[in-house]
Amino acid sequence: MKAILLACGSGICTSTAARVKVEKLLDANGYKGQYKIEQGKIAEVAAKSSNFDFVIATTMKPDGVKCPFINGICFLTGVGVDQVTKEILELMK
Amino acid sequence: MSYILGFFDFIQGLGPNVMMPIIICIFGIILGTEIGKSIRAGLTVGVGFIGLNLVIAAMSSNLGPAVQQMVERFGLHLSIIDVGWPAAAAIAFGSTVGLVIIPVCLLVNIVMLVTNTTQTIDVDIWDYWHFAFTGALVAIITGSQTLGIIAAVLNMVIIMVIGDYTAPGVEKTLGLPGVSLPHGFSAAYAPIAIVINKIIDLIPGVRNIDINMEKVQEKFGVFGEPIIVGTVLGAIIGVVAGYSFGDVLKLGVTMGAVLVLIPRMASLLMEGLLPVSDAAAEFINKHFSNRGKMYIGLDSAVGVGHPLTLSVSLILVPLTLLIAVILPGNQVLPFADLAVIPWMFVLITPVVKGNGFRALVTGIIVIAGGLLISTNLAPLMTSAAVNANYAMPSNATQISSICDGANPLTWAIVRLNDFGWIGMIVVAVIAIGLALFNRRRILKEALES
Repeated sequence: MKAILLACGSGICTSTAARVKVEKLLDANGYKGQYKIEQGKIAEVAAKSSNFDFVIATTMKPDGVKCPFINGICFLTGVGVDQVTKEILELMK
Repeated sequence: MSYILGFFDFIQGLGPNVMMPIIICIFGIILGTEIGKSIRAGLTVGVGFIGLNLVIAAMSSNLGPAVQQMVERFGLHLSIIDVGWPAAAAIAFGSTVGLVIIPVCLLVNIVMLVTNTTQTIDVDIWDYWHFAFTGALVAIITGSQTLGIIAAVLNMVIIMVIGDYTAPGVEKTLGLPGVSLPHGFSAAYAPIAIVINKIIDLIPGVRNIDINMEKVQEKFGVFGEPIIVGTVLGAIIGVVAGYSFGDVLKLGVTMGAVLVLIPRMASLLMEGLLPVSDAAAEFINKHFSNRGKMYIGLDSAVGVGHPLTLSVSLILVPLTLLIAVILPGNQVLPFADLAVIPWMFVLITPVVKGNGFRALVTGIIVIAGGLLISTNLAPLMTSAAVNANYAMPSNATQISSICDGANPLTWAIVRLNDFGWIGMIVVAVIAIGLALFNRRRILKEALES
């Protein structure tokens, strides 16, 4: 079971959009039921990050993140999704 | 035709809880989303509306009387409750202008792309609500839905130009290449920041000041936690209102709950809109992406993570409360929107090039001005909420929001309509002028590259 923190500015809007796409991507690659996603605010990421396997954020990386960090802005723009998908699947192994 | 209009009148009469699910479902099907998915999306939006209404009712029925008592005991004139942007968004989408805002804004974007008056493909459909909000208020002032829609369109045109203009700064300071932020709230502060920044440049001594904000995030971090801010603020209001100890605790815990729950409900609204927004984004992306240098317009939330933006916003949470109490003429009690101060700074940060002192000065000015603006717009926002069937606080308390209720551009567009047709013509001239100016820049850049 992988614990994923999905963060954006408010923990509401863009992280919801990205969450839906990440879930779809993980399910399509056979990871259904093998992960848990929590949404949060970027301001809490540094403090919370030690409890997660990796962070996907739709905004820039803050200081003090204690786990792998993935920039998920591509899930909003649609540009460069393939590269990020590879990174995420690598972290799921 | 009269049957169609009659049908629209009928579903609108049922209120946004029923109307929005139907509208979203229809849009979804038109844009090619499966029927089952469209129905689910529509219903999710309905859940969001009902949830928001419940939470706002809990907030106003608890906070309303306390605020009233506070006003009576100390003559503190903070009687307008800041219900927060999620309520403002729901009111905007629930208005008549909001009903048609998604197709109208898509069309505006397409027309602007075709005429080379913008380089931005705005895929942030959700934030069209800012334009609908302006439109809804204008419709109330003028009594005309057509003028409301025109105001929303002009609002969008101005914001799209600002989005293009600030995109290079977004790339450089925020590190987001190929992205612009045509966000109705954040972008409205860019012109103000540009002016303040220029003025500071002219003052010897002051122009060299910078404040290092690195340590702020640790020390002020607690002001970024809604559960703590809500509970403490609720308890303080209870004490000032002269409540008993038990009631102070009750109000505190309830207000903490409200601040945590409001965004959760907004998240449902957002989730329901996703299929429509994805389909619309795909549509414009597919047809308009091969036109030279293009930006993808996103929610300014993607820029909120900048350390300066977060730090300055945290400092401004207590400062905003202080300003609200001492500022003559202000009647707004800042509450739910204390959480959206970072959105004000997303484009201020690139304009001041990461200078902490300038960001703070700009912040204090826009907050103070914003409180007066939201005081001024509160009666309109309150009637917009009534129009959208929202449960209103008792005691004739008014509502406002520091997000769009305090938006200087919204205010300017709405208030110019106090002057009748002339006002709308002024807005139109400015919007079209900016668009043509932008077109010249775009064509010039295209020639150079």
